[in-house]
Amino acid sequence: MENKSFIEIKEIQKFYPHKDGKLFHRPGEERKKVKAVDGVNLSINRGEILGIIGESGCGKSTLGRVLVRLEDPTSGDVFIDGVSTKEMLKTDPKAFCRQVQIIFQNPFDTFTPRDTILKIMLRPLKHHNIGKNYEERLEIIKKALEAGGLRPAEDIMSRYPHELSGGQLQRLSIIRSMFLNPGFIIADEPVSMLDVSVRAEIINMLIDLAQNHNAAVVFISHDIALTRYISDNIAVMYLGRIVEYGSADEVIKNPQHPYTRVLISNCASVDPFEQREEISIEGEPPTPINPGPGCYFAPRCYMADEECFRSYPGCTLLGGSHYATCHKLKHPSDEA
Amino acid sequence: MKRIWDKFVDSIKCDYQFRTGIIGLAFLLLIVVLGPVIATHDPYFYGPDSLAAPGEAGHLLGTNHMGQDIFSMLVYGVRTSLLVAITASMISGILGVVIGGIGGYFGGKIDVIVSEIINIFLMIPTFFLIMLIVSLFGSNIMNVMIVIGLTTWSSNAKLMRAQALSLRERTFVKSAIALGETKLQVLFKYILPNGIFPVVANTTRGMAGAILTEASLSFLGLGDPNIISWGQMIYQGKQQTSWWISTFSGIAIILTVIIFYMLGDGLNHVLNPKYKKGGK
Amino acid sequence: MEHILVVKNLSVTYVNKNRRVMAVRDVSFDIDKGDSLGIVGESGSGKSTLAMALLRLHPDGTKITGEAFFEGKNLLTISNEEMNDIRWTKIAVVFQKAMNSLSAVHRISEQIEDIYRVHCPQTSSEEIKKRALELLKLVNLPDRVYRLYPHEMSGGMLQRVAIAISLLHSPQLLIFDEATTALDVVTQGQILREIVEMEKTLSTTRIMITHDMSVVATTCNKVAVMYAGELMEFGLVKDVLTHPHHPYTQGLQGSFPSLKGENNILTSIPGFLPDLSKECKGCVFAPRCSHATERCFMEKPPMISVGETGGAACWLCEGEKYGK
Repeated sequence: MENKSFIEIKEIQKFYPHKDGKLFHRPGEERKKVKAVDGVNLSINRGEILGIIGESGCGKSTLGRVLVRLEDPTSGDVFIDGVSTKEMLKTDPKAFCRQVQIIFQNPFDTFTPRDTILKIMLRPLKHHNIGKNYEERLEIIKKALEAGGLRPAEDIMSRYPHELSGGQLQRLSIIRSMFLNPGFIIADEPVSMLDVSVRAEIINMLIDLAQNHNAAVVFISHDIALTRYISDNIAVMYLGRIVEYGSADEVIKNPQHPYTRVLISNCASVDPFEQREEISIEGEPPTPINPGPGCYFAPRCYMADEECFRSYPGCTLLGGSHYATCHKLKHPSDEA
Repeated sequence: MKRIWDKFVDSIKCDYQFRTGIIGLAFLLLIVVLGPVIATHDPYFYGPDSLAAPGEAGHLLGTNHMGQDIFSMLVYGVRTSLLVAITASMISGILGVVIGGIGGYFGGKIDVIVSEIINIFLMIPTFFLIMLIVSLFGSNIMNVMIVIGLTTWSSNAKLMRAQALSLRERTFVKSAIALGETKLQVLFKYILPNGIFPVVANTTRGMAGAILTEASLSFLGLGDPNIISWGQMIYQGKQQTSWWISTFSGIAIILTVIIFYMLGDGLNHVLNPKYKKGGK
Repeated sequence: MEHILVVKNLSVTYVNKNRRVMAVRDVSFDIDKGDSLGIVGESGSGKSTLAMALLRLHPDGTKITGEAFFEGKNLLTISNEEMNDIRWTKIAVVFQKAMNSLSAVHRISEQIEDIYRVHCPQTSSEEIKKRALELLKLVNLPDRVYRLYPHEMSGGMLQRVAIAISLLHSPQLLIFDEATTALDVVTQGQILREIVEMEKTLSTTRIMITHDMSVVATTCNKVAVMYAGELMEFGLVKDVLTHPHHPYTQGLQGSFPSLKGENNILTSIPGFLPDLSKECKGCVFAPRCSHATERCFMEKPPMISVGETGGAACWLCEGEKYGK
């Protein structure tokens, strides 16, 4: 990994106390923890889109929430342009908000149902002192809406959120985040609740953000084909850890970690003639409560052996930035 | 504004409870405003005819043992009842919303403390507490209203806390936090306005309770002796053999309580986000 | 080939107090025995309404016109008793939230027995168990599942159980209404494969209702594309997905990126779904269509056949002669 990326995510961990139904715990007893995110390291450059894929429960959404500090990480830190976000939050939390923004999954719930779009859009402007007075702010909003393809802007501004379509609302959500001119944007499943025919506008808007506003974007999704389309790099998560990382085409076309292979082989494709290798695995991801010393994927893995249950594999570099964490990659001579 | 008015008209058309409540409330307010016109006598005037039966000597509903006109007393009693109802439930509503909202939204230790306090207040027999306080601190109407307000906020707080607990997980609250709004701003701008409706409905129903409590206090002789209140009239009637004194004031209390219950229930239907046109 | 289901001019209108929503308008298609038909469309396209109407599971006050012949009987006019008989024994359906339809306080075995005995009341428990275990094996579940409670299983397993239950009486026609949408990628992929696999041993006909083109591409041989309650295009999957004729199908296909193939630029379809409560004079898709001409707004295009088996409701296809 390069030393100096715009965004450096360092050893982020997020544990939740496991609710085991016991009211009292013996003083010495260690309480069980759910390790939602378990030591994630990533780096993202300006203008880059990083896709994070994985099944539900793999911790990708938790990671997204930790990155925008909707939840505080148990440990670890994120550096933006070399500045620790921990420090940033202490000195000026508003500055952090201007730097890091999130697009949510559910556009129908992103805006308070009791206000008009105009009122909703005015709030962040006022809060962050953008524009001198009401007229100026109105002008900013109008321009932004029209640039975002929401015409006529006046009409949209006078509406209530429930009167607009999901695609429009999601565009408004992106526009609102862009008022603050953030350098780091997290998009948490931004199109999974939208109709197929409007997905592309949101996707293209995000690509535009990365390319023309020079922002670093994290795109969290379970839709592998879409993630491959939008992303420069892809990270695959399983039970709170990154198991494979690399350029989008590398990861999709040449997956090395068995989990990535399973994921991709089970992904339905629109191409009816596509050749697929079919790999089946047992069951679904367990809850990550003390997931043992070995590889977290080992219990479901089709090529796991003793070693996999003994220790967690380290990173194996596979050329370029592509790496995966699997014992089997280190010893290709062993039976595969 | 127009939207709210349209919705209001719509709700009146569709929900019979709300309609009854609104009509009843309008009726009560009319009596308050037109009191001096409607009343046939000055209710504070101790007339010569004591214990006149209904219809006797120009007294529509008779008089009590001090010669006060019952009908006029009923008319002026509306003022007391409404005053008590509105002030007490305002205090209880505001306290409940703020305390419950803070507990539910901030969560953690604050929530534990707040919900324990709520539970304690739900458990203690409120009426005896009110009686105790009123007998200790004197029974003027101000005291009565404040005490009722201070002891009934807990059910509102419980409702508001539940609302806040679910609202804080909503996306628009998260996005407000992500846009840098402070916790207090989020609480007052998003949590309270979106979660307040069930509390409003509950508070309206609470008004009926406040009227009953005040009447009960008066009936036990703990009411404000300088003010005409229905509870006090029942209390007076108890000492006499004249049936009309207690009966008419009792009916007045029942009707008013029903009106507020209707209004509260109607509001609960109308303000419910799941409420749809034509729903029952 | 023998048609198992023939739908002719089916229209479904939801009648509310002051609104009429024409959710399905004038849809005709047929399915041959052993076919697997995918019905794709966005939300509001009427694809689920269509299935509900065929099973007569629509809410009260819904107006249905047209005909739907299944084994020579018109599903829309037969008596309720007859319909009850057909459901589950001849036509079975699996819903998206099928896992939620299992009772939480009864074992799977009890529920399967109950369901089985609705149509065959005299069957012994052993017989039902034998049949159930057979089916559970078919959907890749171990025998022990039969003794479990629903809360002891994951979403994927429950959905498999639901599929197994739908197969209890070996129905001729199976309808999957977004049956795998709520599941994870891996689970969805495996269940889809099991569905296809299972058809090799059972000779069922299948209707797959989904918004996801890729699900249709991997599991069906025929596809019908719906938009705003109308049928836009139908044909063999390999024809329609490689050479879509209708502009809507083209637009829909442009919105799905390929998994491993060329990264074509994603396109969206501008505009919104039309108001379904209004009568539409021309083509329903015309306001959003980039190829629309004046004629499209004035005259509704009929289903024009393209290729050997396909058809598209678009004036653009009129001049073209495909196949022959």
